[in-house]
Amino acid sequence: MTAGFGTAITVEARKAAASRVMASITVILLVGVALLALGMLIGAGSGDEQLLAKLGPLARLGGWVGLVGVVSQITSAGGLLAFGVALSWLFGREFADGTIGGLFALPVRRSTIALAKLAVYVVWAAGVAVLLTAVVAILGLAFGYGATDPSGVVELLRIPVLVVLTALIAVPAAWIATLGRGLLPGIAATVVLLVLAQVMAVVGIGAWVPIVAPALLAIDPAAVPLVSLAIVPSVPVAFGALAALAWSRLQLDR
Amino acid sequence: MTAVTVPVATRLEARGLVREFAGGAGVHGVDLTVEPGEIHAIVGLNGAGKTTLMRLLLGMLRPTAGSVCIDGIEIARGAASRWSRVGQLVEHPLAYAELDGRSNLIVAARLHGAERRAAGALVDRAIAEFDLGRYASVRASRLSLGNRQRLGLAAALQHDPALIVLDEPTNALDPAGVILLREALLRRAGADAGILVSSHHLDEVARIADRITVVNAGRTIGSLDPGGVDLERAFFAMLLDDDRARDRADDPAGDREREAAA
Repeated sequence: MTAGFGTAITVEARKAAASRVMASITVILLVGVALLALGMLIGAGSGDEQLLAKLGPLARLGGWVGLVGVVSQITSAGGLLAFGVALSWLFGREFADGTIGGLFALPVRRSTIALAKLAVYVVWAAGVAVLLTAVVAILGLAFGYGATDPSGVVELLRIPVLVVLTALIAVPAAWIATLGRGLLPGIAATVVLLVLAQVMAVVGIGAWVPIVAPALLAIDPAAVPLVSLAIVPSVPVAFGALAALAWSRLQLDR
Repeated sequence: MTAVTVPVATRLEARGLVREFAGGAGVHGVDLTVEPGEIHAIVGLNGAGKTTLMRLLLGMLRPTAGSVCIDGIEIARGAASRWSRVGQLVEHPLAYAELDGRSNLIVAARLHGAERRAAGALVDRAIAEFDLGRYASVRASRLSLGNRQRLGLAAALQHDPALIVLDEPTNALDPAGVILLREALLRRAGADAGILVSSHHLDEVARIADRITVVNAGRTIGSLDPGGVDLERAFFAMLLDDDRARDRADDPAGDREREAAA
């Protein structure tokens, strides 16, 4: 198992690193969040009351708190979509490209390959978390928050936590992409997750629902007890196990 | 001193394999063997059940009845490591669009159990054997269908498996690719590998096969002599006889009416 897992990790990492899909998702997420945040900062800085009203209370906060708040809200929705698409591709592409047949009759078990895909995904998501934090730090420094709000810089630490938690709750997309034998079922599952998480978070319920906690953390951090964040990993554990089981029991019967 | 002969297990043995799909398609009780050093070809029309049969032999489908043994061990049991002695290509080649030719072969070698250093040597040899040098640094997405197939065949054969299962391996190959494949299979059969290939091309099959089994409507219905003179005529005569026999079995009353009319 250990040797097989190492091999599967090497293979999956090689595929992900060479993939234009994973590189594109990374760039689109980083640039998209940065541009949206930049637009909101410029809008807030204009002093236009109508615009400030539209941007909501976060825009009035200013400094690192305001910036991180804006980025968190964008990431909890856009990030979930990006992570779900990445997982749908990682798992669904084997069916869409027909390469799944080549993953049978191997000394490396298919369940091991599925777990290796998840491991590569988690490492990639952690990398995205670091890069997004760096991008937001640069944005904040460019707006002079280093001088005007030096103590608020600690707010930046919320970003990697939110990014990783958001990545973890996207894992059901891997299972659904496997059951549906393609990318689209995984993406559809992501959209359902996104709607559920956002609606429940806006309504203010679901701090104890693992798929809602990250979105609620972005909107209203005070409403989310630390313990409820600790149960978020139950989502990737449960759905990762289901995905591995589905790969193990897989038959090419459709 | 007495010479000790070690019995060599049948490379592949299927007994009473059944897997039926809605509408009656599938495999309805197939027995099949592949011996060491043997090239066993299965021929049949589209939809005869060749691909379903190969999927059953490789664990891609689970049979509702019957068993498959590789080197004497049932495939549902035994360690996963035994699959390192198998090479297969059923339908799509294992060629990832984002990887170049060499990387695809490295990935396949590693997945078949080769260590990192050994994989490099295997891949160098496969690139030479399948004349893939020009495509070693070209992404698979830019390769023609035929060259992707050639890459997939190299990926399936480079680790010198003891059992090889190939479904329509000459699909999309150019004449040079067909000859490369033929030589690669004959070499491996010469080294005691057991080889099962399916094909539509009777001429090609006759050139390399030791045994030809005809599949029709999910059953094996007989064998053709690879050295026979008019293989095509014998093949269609066998199919026609089988279709008529099944029609009679399905509709005995209609058969009596036809005979009366005649």
